[in-house]
Amino acid sequence: MFSLIQIEWLKIKKYPAFWWMLGIVTLTYPGTNAMFYYGFIKSTSGKEVANNVAKMLLGNPFAFPETWHTVAFLSSNFIVIPSILVIMLVTNEYNYKTHRQNIIDGWSRSQFVTSKLFDVLIVSLVTTFMYALVAAAFGIYADADNLNRWAEQLQYIPLFLIQTFAQLSIAFLIGFLIKKAFIALGVFLFYDLILENILNGYLKWKTNDLGRFLPMEISDRIIPWPAFMNRFGKDMKDAYTKALAAIPEHIIYTVILTSAIWALCYYLHKRRDL
Amino acid sequence: MQPILSIEGISKSYGRIQALQNVSYEVPQGAVFGLLGPNGSGKTTMLSIILDILKADTGTFNWFGKPGSPESRKRIGSLLETPNFYHYLSAVDNLKITSAISGRGNDQSIDEVLKIVKLFERKNSRFSAYSLGMKQRLAIGAALLGNPDVLLFDEPTNGLDPVGIAEIRELIKELAKQGKTIIMASHLLDEVEKVCTHVAIMKRGKLLAAGPVNEVLANEDIVEMAAVNSQLLKTVMESFPGYSSLKENGDLVQLYFPIGKAPMEDINRYCFENGIVLNQLILKKKSLETKFFELTND
Repeated sequence: MFSLIQIEWLKIKKYPAFWWMLGIVTLTYPGTNAMFYYGFIKSTSGKEVANNVAKMLLGNPFAFPETWHTVAFLSSNFIVIPSILVIMLVTNEYNYKTHRQNIIDGWSRSQFVTSKLFDVLIVSLVTTFMYALVAAAFGIYADADNLNRWAEQLQYIPLFLIQTFAQLSIAFLIGFLIKKAFIALGVFLFYDLILENILNGYLKWKTNDLGRFLPMEISDRIIPWPAFMNRFGKDMKDAYTKALAAIPEHIIYTVILTSAIWALCYYLHKRRDL
Repeated sequence: MQPILSIEGISKSYGRIQALQNVSYEVPQGAVFGLLGPNGSGKTTMLSIILDILKADTGTFNWFGKPGSPESRKRIGSLLETPNFYHYLSAVDNLKITSAISGRGNDQSIDEVLKIVKLFERKNSRFSAYSLGMKQRLAIGAALLGNPDVLLFDEPTNGLDPVGIAEIRELIKELAKQGKTIIMASHLLDEVEKVCTHVAIMKRGKLLAAGPVNEVLANEDIVEMAAVNSQLLKTVMESFPGYSSLKENGDLVQLYFPIGKAPMEDINRYCFENGIVLNQLILKKKSLETKFFELTND
């Protein structure tokens, strides 16, 4: 097991796209959150009645412990960035025909798939680490009075990890099946950014929220929208409470879907011609 | 002695195209085994199956007396079809991966094989910056890593310049001398003729012949002779006993004899006694090329 990780690290550590991804995540996560943060500061810092109402309504979504939730939600919208890396990591193997060479040199076919699973896990862990760092930094910076509450809602860190791993596994599957980098990237981006959103909206409206079973949406609902949004009336509050209550259920769906994805990869790779 | 590789009844089809039909043969230990055949004859498909890249429809194969497995592949240095490496990594980093997966070799032996294939000076250059010949040499280097007892080369001299081809040929001879078993697919007949001890000839997925080179290829000796009057020479030689066939090739007369049965001195004496002075008398083995065309022509 450990040797598989070591070998994957040999492949990844000198792969320029990995460092590009890390660089972009390093800029995007704090950047996006900062944008929202300053938007929040602006709407709550004036002396107008409206500012005070806003402050009362919103609280501070970036103070501990809410920061774990808020930053997770905002950052998770950028799953596309690590997805590109994951797709490249698998399609590279086909492009260079190293998926054959690894077997020729002595890996079993299952070991190859396991090594790729570790790739996805490594990228998920790095991404989660970046998220946790950014969330903690905002928590410390936004409101020093709440520092003592840092340990509350820490569950969002493992939830972020599960969501990231699940969604990157979908990206992996697309790369694994399509084999060509640009086609796979196109399909994934089109599905993630456009098609699923349309389907989800349509199904929500037409079919009693069946959209919650769409591949990305299943794990999207592990991290619902931030808490401050439940303060805009009873309907929102009800919806928020319902979303929170649905988290455990969606964790189960996510685990099932992700396991099925990897089981399919193992099954196909064991039987097909390389 | 147990064969290094034995193949039993392997068949493989791609849709309606039958790539391999019931192919069986054995590779004895210490052999330099040439797998020959025209393009599309199934050589690479065969090698891909015994390396678990392709799945056979039927049939079995054993390496070292056991069914093929990751463990058996680790003991074989292989170059299949094309040099397959990570483009963004250097030669050294690529070989580190080969070494880590196969368990063959270490940092020191990486340097050693890079010296053998003459890439040591460029060992830190990215694979993508290599020329075709350099890529091929790196692939041969990867196969040599950790000094395995069995080597499998699919078209090893692809992309190499004449000097490189000669070097690889010498390398293969040297490896054979060390007692290594080498399995080599090639369409360069001259190359195989120079280094192989055993040969298998394939065409359209069928095995036409397999065995030691002497048995498969050189089943006839050719005596080539010439004299000033070639018509008279032909007439005289027609009554010479023991040959299997007589052919004219321009001014040359060719007599075919079973292997090792050409009586050169008797021929010379016979001609002289019949008033013919030969100005040429040569014993030729049938070339692999001739044999190959004979076997593979419809």
